[in-house]
Amino acid sequence: MVLEREIYPYLQWLLWGTGGSNFGALPRFFAVCAGFAVLAILLGYVVSLLRAERRGGFFTGLLQAGDRVFKTLKSGIAELAATSPRRVWALAKLAMKEAWRRRILIALVVYVVLLLFAAWFLSVEHPDPARLYLSFVLSATTGLVLLIALLISAFSLPGDFKSKTIYTVVTKPVRAGEIILGRILGFTVVGTFLLVAMGLCNYVFVTRSLGHVHQVEADSIERQTSTEGEDEGRTGRTTNTAGHRHRIEVDSDNQGIALTENGHYHPLDIDSEGRITVRPAVGFLRARQPDYGKLRFVDRTGVEKARGISVGSEWTYRSFIDGNTLATAIWTFSNISAATFEESRNDQGEASGEVLPIALKVRVFKTHKGTIGQPISGTIQFRNPETTAVSDPEPFYAKDSQIDEMFPSRAQVTPEGEPIDLLDDLTTEDGRLEILVKCAERGQYFGFAQADLYISKPDGSTLMNFIKVHLSIWIQMVIVITVGVVISTLVSGPVAMMFTASFIILGIFREKFLEIATDQAYGGGPAEALVRMGTQANVVSQLDQTWGVMIVQFIDTFISRPLMWGVGQILPDFQYLDSSNYAAEGYNLPWDRIFQDLTICGGYVVAFSVLGYFLLRTREVAR
Amino acid sequence: MSEATSAETAGAETASSEIVVQTRALSKVYRDFWGRQKVRALKSLDLEVRKGEVFGLLGPNGSGKTTTIKLLLGLLFPTEGEALLFGKDSSDVSKNERLGYLPEESYLYRFLNAEETLDFYGRLFDMPADVREQRIDELIKMVGLDRARKRQLQEYSKGMTRRIGLAQALINNPELILLDEPTSGLDPIGTREMKDMILRLKAEGKTVVMCSHLLADVQDVCDRIAILHQGELKELGRVDTLLTVADVTQLRAKGLTGECQQELRDVIARHHGELLEMNNPTTTLEDLFLKIVRDSEARPGRRASIEGADDNKTGGVATAD
Ligand SMILES: Nc1ncnc2c1ncn2[C@@H]1O[C@H](COP(=O)(O)OP(=O)(O)OP(=O)(O)O)[C@@H](O)[C@H]1O
Ligand SMILES: [Mg+2]
Repeated sequence: MVLEREIYPYLQWLLWGTGGSNFGALPRFFAVCAGFAVLAILLGYVVSLLRAERRGGFFTGLLQAGDRVFKTLKSGIAELAATSPRRVWALAKLAMKEAWRRRILIALVVYVVLLLFAAWFLSVEHPDPARLYLSFVLSATTGLVLLIALLISAFSLPGDFKSKTIYTVVTKPVRAGEIILGRILGFTVVGTFLLVAMGLCNYVFVTRSLGHVHQVEADSIERQTSTEGEDEGRTGRTTNTAGHRHRIEVDSDNQGIALTENGHYHPLDIDSEGRITVRPAVGFLRARQPDYGKLRFVDRTGVEKARGISVGSEWTYRSFIDGNTLATAIWTFSNISAATFEESRNDQGEASGEVLPIALKVRVFKTHKGTIGQPISGTIQFRNPETTAVSDPEPFYAKDSQIDEMFPSRAQVTPEGEPIDLLDDLTTEDGRLEILVKCAERGQYFGFAQADLYISKPDGSTLMNFIKVHLSIWIQMVIVITVGVVISTLVSGPVAMMFTASFIILGIFREKFLEIATDQAYGGGPAEALVRMGTQANVVSQLDQTWGVMIVQFIDTFISRPLMWGVGQILPDFQYLDSSNYAAEGYNLPWDRIFQDLTICGGYVVAFSVLGYFLLRTREVAR
Repeated sequence: MSEATSAETAGAETASSEIVVQTRALSKVYRDFWGRQKVRALKSLDLEVRKGEVFGLLGPNGSGKTTTIKLLLGLLFPTEGEALLFGKDSSDVSKNERLGYLPEESYLYRFLNAEETLDFYGRLFDMPADVREQRIDELIKMVGLDRARKRQLQEYSKGMTRRIGLAQALINNPELILLDEPTSGLDPIGTREMKDMILRLKAEGKTVVMCSHLLADVQDVCDRIAILHQGELKELGRVDTLLTVADVTQLRAKGLTGECQQELRDVIARHHGELLEMNNPTTTLEDLFLKIVRDSEARPGRRASIEGADDNKTGGVATAD
C-alpha cells in the first residue's frame, strides 16, 4: 500500500514525465501557470472594466481597462526585480514575532500532553508496534503542524488589514511580493522550529516506548545434542514482556540471539560461565530499500494476464491467484548483477555462499479453513525470461500481510535435480530475472500487488529516514502556509481559513475530485448529484431524460466539471505528499521522492507568490 | 508666533517652481461590496503643492481630508482623475522612498518596542544597519521617547504613540511628509513641539501636507490651505492673504492712556472712519472657516463667496508693540 506509486528518477519526473499521458512536472507546471495566467488576465480585465467609472464611450472604457491591466503587469515584472532580501527578512522577522506573540509554544505543550495520553492507549503488544507508534506520531505531527500553519497564515494579513498596520507598511517602498514572501518565510521558520521540536519528541517517544527488556526464563534452557552426541548449543525462551517472548538460540561457541518476534530481535550477552543476559531490542525501526520488478499474472488456465482475479471485497489494488492451479504471479526484475547478491554468514560468522535477499508480502484470502493451525503454503520459483530455464519451486508458508524476508541461495537446483546458478543461468545477459509465486492449496487465494515482492538492498539509516519523513511534513506545511497567506490577501481571516482548509481537504481527496471532474465517477457531476439527492435516486440509477435533467447535465458538462477540472490542476495532492507510511511500514524514503516533493513545494511558493502579488497589488488597501 | 511668521515669509519666497504633489480632477466614490455607491467622498479635486511649502487641508469631520491623503498615498484608488507625487502616479511604489506618512491614528505593531518599530521601518527602506542605528537614536531623542525606547507600544499613552508614529514617518528623512491630524492626542506642549517640528522641516526645505480641523494649528504653520466641505474644494490660497480683511484696519498698541485712546477715536471720526472695536481681536481663521461652512450649507455646490484674498493689497495690518 505504501509504495503504490512508482518513484521515477528526479530528472525524468521533472522533464519527461512518467510515461502514458503524464508529461514532465516542469512542462506541466508551465502549462498550468500559463492557463491560469490567461484566465487571470481576462478576469482582471473584466473587473477593471466593471470597477472603473466610465468616462467617454464604451470603447474608451475597453481601452482604459486594457491599459490598466497592461500597466499592472508591466510594473509587476519591474517590481519583481526590485525585491530586496533585507525587506523580506524584516517582514519575515515581524511575522515570526507575531506568531510567537500568539503563544505558538502552547501547541508544543499540547503535543507533549497528547503523546503522554497516547502512551496509555497505544499498545506495545501489537504485532507491529513500530508501525502503530510511528503512524500515530507522524499523523499527529502532520495534523497539528498543518493546523497551526493554517491558523497563523490565514489570520496574519487580515489582522494587519483590520488593525490598519498595513497602512504604514505599504506606504514604505515595500513591494507587494515582499509582503507575501516575508510572511511565508517567517511562518515557515516558526513552523520549522515547531516541527523540529515535535520531531525530537517523536523520536524519543517512539524509541523509549518500543524499548523493553526480557529476562531469560531459567528453566526453559535446554542443551541440544545431535544424534551423534555432539554439543549443538542451547535453546530456550525469554520471559514474556510487552506481550511477546522470543526463542533463544545459543550455539556451542556461546554465540546467540533472541529470535525475531514482533518485528525485532534482541542480541544476547553470554559470559564465560554461559550466563545469558538479554540486551535491548534491535530492528524495530527499519529503512528497507526495495528494488521493484514488474508484475504480471498467469490465470488458472495458463493464460497471461495483466491482472489476477478479484475476490470481491478486496481493494482493487491487489489482485489474486487461485491455489493449486496454473495461476501464477510473475515479477520481472532487471539490473540483477553480482552486486545484487549478499554474502550470507552462518552462525559462526563464516561466509556460507551468496544469497539473493528478497522480501515477500502475501495477502491471503481463504475460502475454507484449511488445515487448522497451519499457514497456507505456496511456492517460489526462478525463471530465465529468455531461455525459460527454471529452478525447483521452493515451498514457503504465507505470513498473511507481513513482510517475509527470504534469502534463497545463489546455488539453486533444477526440477530435475541438476545444480543451476541463479545469476549465471537464470538471469539473462542484460540482468533480467523472473520470480514466479504460486499458491499451493486448492480453494485458497494469494493476493499480490507489484510492490509485494522485491529484492532488498541493504537497509538505509533509520534516523535519516525519520528525518526525511519529517521533511515531507515540512513540505506540506510550507504549501499550506503559502496557500493560506495568499488567500488571506483577499478575504478576512476566518474566510481565508475556511478557504485554505477546503483547499487542503480537496487536496486530500484530489483523485476523487478529478474523477468527478472527468466524469469517471458514478452519479454525474455536482449538479446532477444534487438532483439525485433531491429525488433520492441512487448513484447508478438512470435518470429520466427530462428537460430539467438535461439542463442539469449540461451545466455539469460545460460549467461545473471544467471548473472542477481547473481547480483540480492546482490542488496539492496531500495524500500523495504524505509519506509518513514509508517510515511507519519501515521503508526507506527515496531522495528522488524528497526532491520531487521539494520541487512541487517550490512550484507552489513561486506560483502562489506571483498570484498573491497581483491580488495584493490590485487590492485597495484602505477599504 | 513671531518665529512662525518669519518662517512663513521665508517659505513664501523660496517656494520654487518644482511641483511635488499634484492632483487632477481627483474623485473618490466609496462603494459597497455590490458596487453600489455609498458616499462621494471627494469631488474633482485639483491641487498643486510646491517644494518647500507647508500645505494644510482643512474641513469639518467627514469632508474628505483623510480620503485625499490616502489617495495621494495610493492606499485608495481614485474613481476618477489622478494623483501625482514627484511626478509619479500614486500607485507607483517607488515614490514611497521619498515620502513619510503619519496616519490619522498610529497604526503600528503594538508588540514591538520603539526601537524595534523604527528598526523594522528602517529595514523596509533597505537602510544599512549603521545608518539605521544612528537614525533611530536621533529620532527617538527628537520625539522625546528616550526613556521609553525599550517599552512595547501597547504600553504607550496616546501622545507617546503619536510621537513614535511621527518618528516612524521621518525614518527615511523624507522630502515630502503627509501628516493626518498631527496634533490630535497631543498635549499643548506636544502640540507646540509638533508645530515647531513642522516648521523645522520646512526650514530644511521639505514639503509638508497636513490635514487638520484644529484651526489654530493650521494658522500657525501653513503657508497655504485648502478648505474642503463634503468632498468639494471651497477655498484655496495663502493663509496670510486669506485672513486679511480688506476694508478693516487693525491697530494693536500697548500702554495707551484713556486720553490717547479718545484722541484716536477723534482722529478716526475726523476721517469719517468707523471705529469697530478697540480691544483684543478674537480668532480670525475660525471665523472664516465657520462662515465658509455655513455658506456652503446654505448654497451647496457653489464656491464660497468670501473673495477677500485677491483685492486686498492696500490694507496692511498695523501692529504696534
Ligand atoms: N472606507 C469607507 N467606506 C465608506 N465611506 C467612507 C470610508 N472612509 C470614509 N468614508 C466616507 O467618506 C467621507 C470622507 O471621509 P474622510 O475620512 O476623508 O473625512 P475626514 O475629512 O478625514 O474627516 P475627519 O476630520 O473626521 O478625519 C465621509 O463621509 C466618510 O463617511
Ligand atoms: Mg480624517
